[in-house]
Amino acid sequence: MRPAQDNQGSFLGRISIRRNQFTDVNTEQEQEDLELFQKHIADRFTELLSPPPPPQQPPSDETNTVAPVPATEQIMSVTWLRKLMDVFLCCEAEFKAILLMGRDPTQISKPPFDRLVPEMLDRSIKALDICTAVVNGIDSVRHYQRLAEIAVAALEQRPLGDGNVRRAKRALSNLLIALSIEDKENVSGGGGRSGGSSAASKGGATIGQLKSSSWAVGRNWSAAKQIHAMTANLAPPRGNEAAGLPLPMFIMSTVTVFVMWVLTAAVPCQERAGLANHLPVPKHLNWAQSLVGIHEKIGDEWKKKEKKGSAGLMEEMTRMEKLGHSLVEFADGFHYPAEKEAAESAAAQVAEMAEICRRMEEELVPLQQQIREVFHRIVRSRAEILEVLEQAGKLSAPVV
Amino acid sequence: MESPDIRGGSDAATTLETAEKIILRWDSTTSEEAKENLIFQSDRDEVDRYLQAVDEVQRLVSSVSISDSHHHHEVKARSTIQIAMARLEDELRNILLSQTSTFEPDSLLLDSSASAFATRADLEDNTETVGADEGEGEEQEQEEMNLVLPDGSDSNSGSDPGSSRLSSRRSSCKSTSSIREIDLVSTEAVSDLRSIVHRMIGAGYSRECLQVYGNVRKSAMETIFKQLGIVKLGIGDVQRLDWEAVEVKIRRWIRAAKVCVRVVFSSEKRLCEQIFDGGEIEETCFMEIVKSSALQLFTFPEAISISRRSPEKLFKILDLHDALADLLPDMEEIFNSESSETILVQATEIQSRLAEAARGTLVEFENAIFREPSVVPVPGGTIHPLTRYVMNYLNLIADYKETLEELVMSKPCAGLKCTNDPVKPDMDLSQLEGRTPLALHCIWTMVMLQFNLEGKSLHYKDEALSHIFIMNNVHYIVQKVKSSPELREIIGDLYLRRLTGIFRHAATKYQRATWVRVLNSLRDEGLHVSGSFSSGVSKSALRERFKAFNTMFEEVHRVQSTWSVPDAQLREELRISLSEHLIPAYRSFLGRFRGHIESGRHPENYLKYSVENLETAVLDFFEGYTTAPHLRRSQ
Repeated sequence: MRPAQDNQGSFLGRISIRRNQFTDVNTEQEQEDLELFQKHIADRFTELLSPPPPPQQPPSDETNTVAPVPATEQIMSVTWLRKLMDVFLCCEAEFKAILLMGRDPTQISKPPFDRLVPEMLDRSIKALDICTAVVNGIDSVRHYQRLAEIAVAALEQRPLGDGNVRRAKRALSNLLIALSIEDKENVSGGGGRSGGSSAASKGGATIGQLKSSSWAVGRNWSAAKQIHAMTANLAPPRGNEAAGLPLPMFIMSTVTVFVMWVLTAAVPCQERAGLANHLPVPKHLNWAQSLVGIHEKIGDEWKKKEKKGSAGLMEEMTRMEKLGHSLVEFADGFHYPAEKEAAESAAAQVAEMAEICRRMEEELVPLQQQIREVFHRIVRSRAEILEVLEQAGKLSAPVV
Repeated sequence: MESPDIRGGSDAATTLETAEKIILRWDSTTSEEAKENLIFQSDRDEVDRYLQAVDEVQRLVSSVSISDSHHHHEVKARSTIQIAMARLEDELRNILLSQTSTFEPDSLLLDSSASAFATRADLEDNTETVGADEGEGEEQEQEEMNLVLPDGSDSNSGSDPGSSRLSSRRSSCKSTSSIREIDLVSTEAVSDLRSIVHRMIGAGYSRECLQVYGNVRKSAMETIFKQLGIVKLGIGDVQRLDWEAVEVKIRRWIRAAKVCVRVVFSSEKRLCEQIFDGGEIEETCFMEIVKSSALQLFTFPEAISISRRSPEKLFKILDLHDALADLLPDMEEIFNSESSETILVQATEIQSRLAEAARGTLVEFENAIFREPSVVPVPGGTIHPLTRYVMNYLNLIADYKETLEELVMSKPCAGLKCTNDPVKPDMDLSQLEGRTPLALHCIWTMVMLQFNLEGKSLHYKDEALSHIFIMNNVHYIVQKVKSSPELREIIGDLYLRRLTGIFRHAATKYQRATWVRVLNSLRDEGLHVSGSFSSGVSKSALRERFKAFNTMFEEVHRVQSTWSVPDAQLREELRISLSEHLIPAYRSFLGRFRGHIESGRHPENYLKYSVENLETAVLDFFEGYTTAPHLRRSQ
């Protein structure tokens, strides 16, 4: 040993003695915590997969009484996505407690953690960029909402005249274009609709397209690639590692990747080709079953949607698209004064569209805020882990 | 608003018919001509006619009560309004698109002096007088134009009552004089846009209006961002960059962000105000346009604020922190609504994370000094690179004193003072009552450095050299502190005196370690032979003494002329000090005993050096020679 380190030797020696005692006392407690953590993960995702019926019908909300499973609770609905965010935050808080609380800093800087921890931190950086991309994607959804609101406002007019219907149609066509854009960067102003030659309608299509050039992340950034990179070195721990800390690290990373994957599939996002690829989650694990179930459900939907090009799988968007198509049909066949039957069915659809808009109005901004909260949480945890690593570095080998 | 009762039925019908005709003439879905041309690009009379027609129809629509007699009229009028609104939407888009390329970032980036621009304060002063004197207002607005755009397109619509009224709506007059608004859209265009927007909102088409306006301005904003060189970088991208590359980007970011907030965002906001006349839509529009740009702008400092800490990052982090601190008051002014709060919150959070990073980096720096492990002694006992590094670092800390004194709030060494271990560095805080935490951190840093240096000094085999090493390094520390008034103020004279004491003490210890032995050979004791009266001095003992002295001096000269005291004054002082001991002792010894040797055989073997020889030889000491120079001796 180098003479200069002699003075630290005694100091370190004391610490390591304490550590040995410390781990012995705590292994049992730690096992218990680990099992509880897995159980909580399982419970939370099971609830997301099949939400329990609401304890009581919310008063004065007609739509909830129509369907047996309220539309608001469906997988990929905006309400469900908000629940998913809550679940993530809960899991994350619990995980951090397991990882850091009362733990000797030097432990997470030794093998295999000298590999696992940096990998996890790297994943968290990627998750941050996904959060940013998704927050931006939700802005696009707000834009769809506004187009739908125009249509609703126009079609709610009584008496319903040609002018109103034309106005609605204009908005709906733009909405449908916007909803079907693929997430390529090259969709910019002027595209989508012909007629760029005439002065008056030049750029007419831009109204419908919140252009992909406004993606917030880097130029060549791809959501699918990020997700893929996050899973690249994600493997379930084996052997004696499987019983200790590597397991919750694997679980939390899986949850993070999964949540990010859901978000990118839900709303418009930069470059998602190949998003349907499977997550490396072993299906037989108890904690993972519901998560895998949700993943499969969404994955199937994604494969269907990917073929025809879709802005996102958010339930409200899907319904908006369907309603949009049939209302355009209604508008195409409209002659003043409207036939009673057609008008009535259109009115029902308009009401449904209005309801979707209302829900978006209420929930999209809070969802964005939750995603920012997720962002901040990841940032904070990362900082805390780095701090612990720094402490560990201070106690062990010199760094400089 | 006019009541429908006043108008005669047939009169109203003809007016409406004329108005509808004008609107239908410009229906681009039915007329090829209407599709190819733009109303606002044809003559102004046509523009006025069209707008008037829209007003007529709109007046009818909003005044007719829903009753069967007017039913048909109303439906028809609504249909006409829809055609007019679709038309106006296209016109709005086209005017906006034709105005998106007027931004010139180069001049803004190069000339950052606020005086070249009309400041917000100026603007407010102007507008206060506008109501009283229209002409003066125009003149001043003209002046503003010239100041903002050197190639200023001549404008004649300075008297547009709308825009001046809008500017004067601003009531707050904070010290954010750094905001510099420019015209993103020409004044004529503003007036056209206003007349369109006004009608679209009046007819209940505010959502369409928002879509078009938001979309076009948003892409204009993206173009401006490109022109400002703000590239899209994800947090992951930034993490992958080398720190040197990041440093360059930080400098650029600070410049771009200032223009972005103070010129681009503020001008965009003003444009929204000019066009929308307040209300919710104005705010919504503004946020629609700037939200994602702001998010993109702040991704970069966000990425820096969460990057791994390391000492070399401190000062750029502080630059970034200060830039944000500088921008925040302006941002508060610009993002002053509820919906824009998130942008402010984000910027504030980044700033506090940067502050945290700066604090953490400082502690990291202290620990790094404590742990710096190099054990190879620097040759000649000169200044260790670590000492230079730390002192340069502390000098920079002093440069950033203002910021750091705000940021550093806790005293140092919370984690390290856990033991009373005598081999751990310690600092007597009682003597440092009332010093700022930053000062304590700086002093603590020096304590750490000194502690580390003490450890390093033990690696010298020659004890005297280890004292020279300490003396040199601590003296360097003192000199560095003294040469920077800011640092000296932080460190304080008390600690400086302590350091001075340390290097003086090291000098003394050096002299003791080297010269006591040498000077011992020049003592009288042991030379006198007891009981003898004739001579009283043992010649053989004397010869041994001279021999011993010569050998020792030669050795010391050989070794210590390769040692190094880089500071000329210190070197000089040290030589004088050792000469003061050596020379008189040798002169006196020589004076008293040379006779005894000269009378014997081979005196030249013993009397090798004259006093002058020694005086010259001392000048070789601490010169850091690679090989010792030849020691000159008397003939």
